[in-house]
Amino acid sequence: MAIAAPPEVPASAPSTSRARKYGADGVTRKWMVTRVVVGILIIVVFLVPYLIMLVGSLKTRSEILAVPPRYLPQDGLQVGNYLTMWSTPETPLPYNFISTVIIAVFATLLVLLVATPAAYYTARFSFPGKWAFLFLVIVTQMLQPAVLTAGLFRQMLVLDLNDTWLAMILINAAFNLSFALWIMHSFFAGIPKEVDEAAQLDGASRLSVLFRINLPLVWPGIVTAIIFTFVASWNEFAASLVIMSTAENQPLSVALTKFIGQYATSWQYVFGLSIVAIVPVIILFALIEKRLIGGLTAGSVK
Amino acid sequence: MKSTTRTTMMAMAAIGTLAVSSCGFGGDTSAGSEGDTTIDMLVPSYSDDTRALWEGVIEDFEAANEGVTVDLQIESWENLESVLQTKIQAGEAPEIYNGGAFSAFASEGLLYPAEDVASADTLDDFQESFAVNESFEGTQYALPLLASARALFYNQDLFDAAGVEAPPTTWEEMHDAAEKITATGTPGYGMPLGSEEAQGEALIWFAGNGGGFGDESTITVDTPENLEAAEFMKQMITDGLTQPDPGATQRTPMLNVFLQGRIGMVYALPQTVGQIEEANPDLNYGIANVPTNTGEPATLGVADRLMAFRNDESKQEAITSFMDFFFADDQYVDWVQTEGFLPTTKSGAEAMASDETLQPFLEMLPAAEFYPTSNPAWNATDGAFKSLMGLLETQDPASVLEQIQARADAAS
Amino acid sequence: MSTFEQPPITRIRRARVRNRESFVAALPWIGPVLILIFGVVVFPAAYMIYNSTRRISQAGTNIEGVGFANFSRVLADPNLPRILLNTVVWVTVVVTLTVILSLALASFLNKPFPGRTLVRMAVVVPWAASVVMTTTVFYYGLDRDYGIMNTFLVDIGILDSPYGFTKNVTAALGAAIVVGIFVSIPFTTYTLLAGLQAVPADILEAAKMDGAGRVRTYFLVILPQLRSALAVAVLINVINVFNNLPILRIMTGSIPGYDADTLMTYIFKVLQFDRRLDLASALSVLNFAIVIVIVAAYVKIVKPMKED
Repeated sequence: MAIAAPPEVPASAPSTSRARKYGADGVTRKWMVTRVVVGILIIVVFLVPYLIMLVGSLKTRSEILAVPPRYLPQDGLQVGNYLTMWSTPETPLPYNFISTVIIAVFATLLVLLVATPAAYYTARFSFPGKWAFLFLVIVTQMLQPAVLTAGLFRQMLVLDLNDTWLAMILINAAFNLSFALWIMHSFFAGIPKEVDEAAQLDGASRLSVLFRINLPLVWPGIVTAIIFTFVASWNEFAASLVIMSTAENQPLSVALTKFIGQYATSWQYVFGLSIVAIVPVIILFALIEKRLIGGLTAGSVK
Repeated sequence: MKSTTRTTMMAMAAIGTLAVSSCGFGGDTSAGSEGDTTIDMLVPSYSDDTRALWEGVIEDFEAANEGVTVDLQIESWENLESVLQTKIQAGEAPEIYNGGAFSAFASEGLLYPAEDVASADTLDDFQESFAVNESFEGTQYALPLLASARALFYNQDLFDAAGVEAPPTTWEEMHDAAEKITATGTPGYGMPLGSEEAQGEALIWFAGNGGGFGDESTITVDTPENLEAAEFMKQMITDGLTQPDPGATQRTPMLNVFLQGRIGMVYALPQTVGQIEEANPDLNYGIANVPTNTGEPATLGVADRLMAFRNDESKQEAITSFMDFFFADDQYVDWVQTEGFLPTTKSGAEAMASDETLQPFLEMLPAAEFYPTSNPAWNATDGAFKSLMGLLETQDPASVLEQIQARADAAS
Repeated sequence: MSTFEQPPITRIRRARVRNRESFVAALPWIGPVLILIFGVVVFPAAYMIYNSTRRISQAGTNIEGVGFANFSRVLADPNLPRILLNTVVWVTVVVTLTVILSLALASFLNKPFPGRTLVRMAVVVPWAASVVMTTTVFYYGLDRDYGIMNTFLVDIGILDSPYGFTKNVTAALGAAIVVGIFVSIPFTTYTLLAGLQAVPADILEAAKMDGAGRVRTYFLVILPQLRSALAVAVLINVINVFNNLPILRIMTGSIPGYDADTLMTYIFKVLQFDRRLDLASALSVLNFAIVIVIVAAYVKIVKPMKED
């Protein structure tokens, strides 16, 4: 089967486009315009809450709580909020940011490292206890973190890991492992086994079959798993709250709560920080989104 | 097998990478040489100043006490108690804790008696009325940190527009004033019965009828006095004199609405004065005593406290020096003044006597009814108020009080 | 017809699936997963179960074993039926609507048009943002006094005056469901989109040649190919929505009583307000058991891992 062709090979020519037809699938102009309009509507719907957030972060605290509300800032754009938030008395935000990045990146790497071989193997081979294994994995995801924190804290205490990045890396990795594994499993399962068999006949080891041949084919799945794990680790709150006690070590999700005082909340910072926290994930996504397309071409190579 | 070795190697490499990241900022675990003492301190966030204030205190304290390190952890009120509970359960309670209720901890022998962690001079400086609320079964366990009282804030412009001549002193006058203001199209009275502070709003009204939540040994919610008060609250709601959905209204956002001149009257606290100055200095408002059923003065008083958990006897001395250091005039007055609370020490009261903002609240303190924080069932009662009191909007007052009482009894 | 209903690949695959290995041979591949799970998850889970059989003081001290007393107390709770009903409604409505909308969205995003990448980026934003913050913005936007969304609805004439969306049970649950769908769509859409892109072009081509219409192609060719991605997406959504706390806690959080609670928010209230770690643990074990049963039934019926 030629599907095994490496992804570097450019995609075969798109389907023939006829005259007065638009796009790769050749629709009429009216349809194409409709698509663009629908696309714009979707953008609006999905961005509205974040526009409210963004506009809020550019208002003063009292403007945010003005009754009745105004759509736009009246006292000028408070761009300075984005500068002052890094040196607020409530929390050492630059440190929180670094901690969050470290925890999320390493947790994601650890998940990929651990889950990929398992997802591949369980999709390819059957062995006694395979179903028990897969079910065990999914069971870990059904536990509710709010009540588990008591045990997690105790466990990390024994391991002397409380208040360390490693503790949160391990926790995030362990609790996000299952979805990553299941997602990748479903993608590996979609690749015909003949691909492997052909390669193995050529004398390739299983690992190199996995890395050289299968991985490029399941990029969409891996990307989904990466985003899933990264986002979940990035926003994890319940465990971080009890495990991380030093202000500098706390992730952004916990730092955010520091702006909520007993009698007043610094909404401009809460909103500003939320916007800032979205950016790295979007960048990560923008970087790997191409791979999603890459998956498309790889899959359609004949 | 070749593949096995490679997997192992990859795993090793991964572990190596992780080892690099096993630390974190701060790295307290390895800090300090032999003989050093580290005190863990867990406190709530009162305002944007809280962190800087405590860090200042700690810095001065550490400079004056070689070999003692204080690790500060600040959490929002919402998260404070769950963090504490987790730590206690794991046997890792903080040495010093700033919170509301203490008796549940005291009854289990988790706390040092106050005299073990503060010098006689420090203890003698507390005003009697506060110190008394810090005792459980005859022993003082906590050190009162700050106090606060509630007063009636009213919007003078709305009063004028509605023809209300003076702030109400009785319930009847209050109903009347609220009715007049509501008739002009603005809610007359703001009643926040949402989970944020339902217990506070309830106690203000209950106290106004000679009621309360009970004492050290019994929680009494379902009493004739409290019921009469709850019925009057319900009356205000059914007569449409409050803001919409009082049962689901949180205090902080509601006070913000008052700040902007859109509610006639609310019960608020010393910090509200500063917030008005910041957000809407033009607000024409007044502060008056809480109206009560008969006109007898009464209000809600709130006190928070410091307590010391008994973990490791070797730390007792360090805790004591910290408490003594903190409650000494200059540190304490600066702290309490910046946070905008009323002082609990005699020396603090003297130093702050000239503070005009706090004057009306200080005057109300003698008539203040406090939460029964010395009762071990108070925590559960507090929770019951937070989740059930708002039902007053839709349910019969008697049944609401009954449900809360049942929760309190179950915890006693 | 038969060309695309029985594509050649499937036929070959079905013929030869004999890769049986021993558990020991599997260990190097699945071992790291087991280590991580046993190292991190098992203890806290066991601790939760242990706590559910203890009496724990409000302070957090573990006092004594009480057997199943916590469970009988929890099961006798008069609020439980309403809470379970809310939970069922919450999970069913959110997951069903999420899947339907995501299927449509994924198909749309799979079509070429100018600016598609931008639309895809926009769709991913709710996923990138923390659920807590997204929900907070909705809560704030829907506030009767400060809410920009409320003002907007009044300005365009849908409402006469601002409405307290988060102030009564039905409206708040409805709003929570909308937010739940909103934050679940990105992940679901992406999983399905990734699945769509894995649909071999030759099968589509074959369908086209057979003259199958769009609808027919979709239901007979594309949907079956999406089966695996769809099955996993539904599974993950069910678990996630079932266990979601922040959305409901924020959207229904200011409502007194327990009429708007699901199991999750109820556990939270028992923990936060009543400070009963023991009862909360018992409820969590109950919750856990329910999810396991649902997922086991789902796995059994749908067989999301079916490869052949």
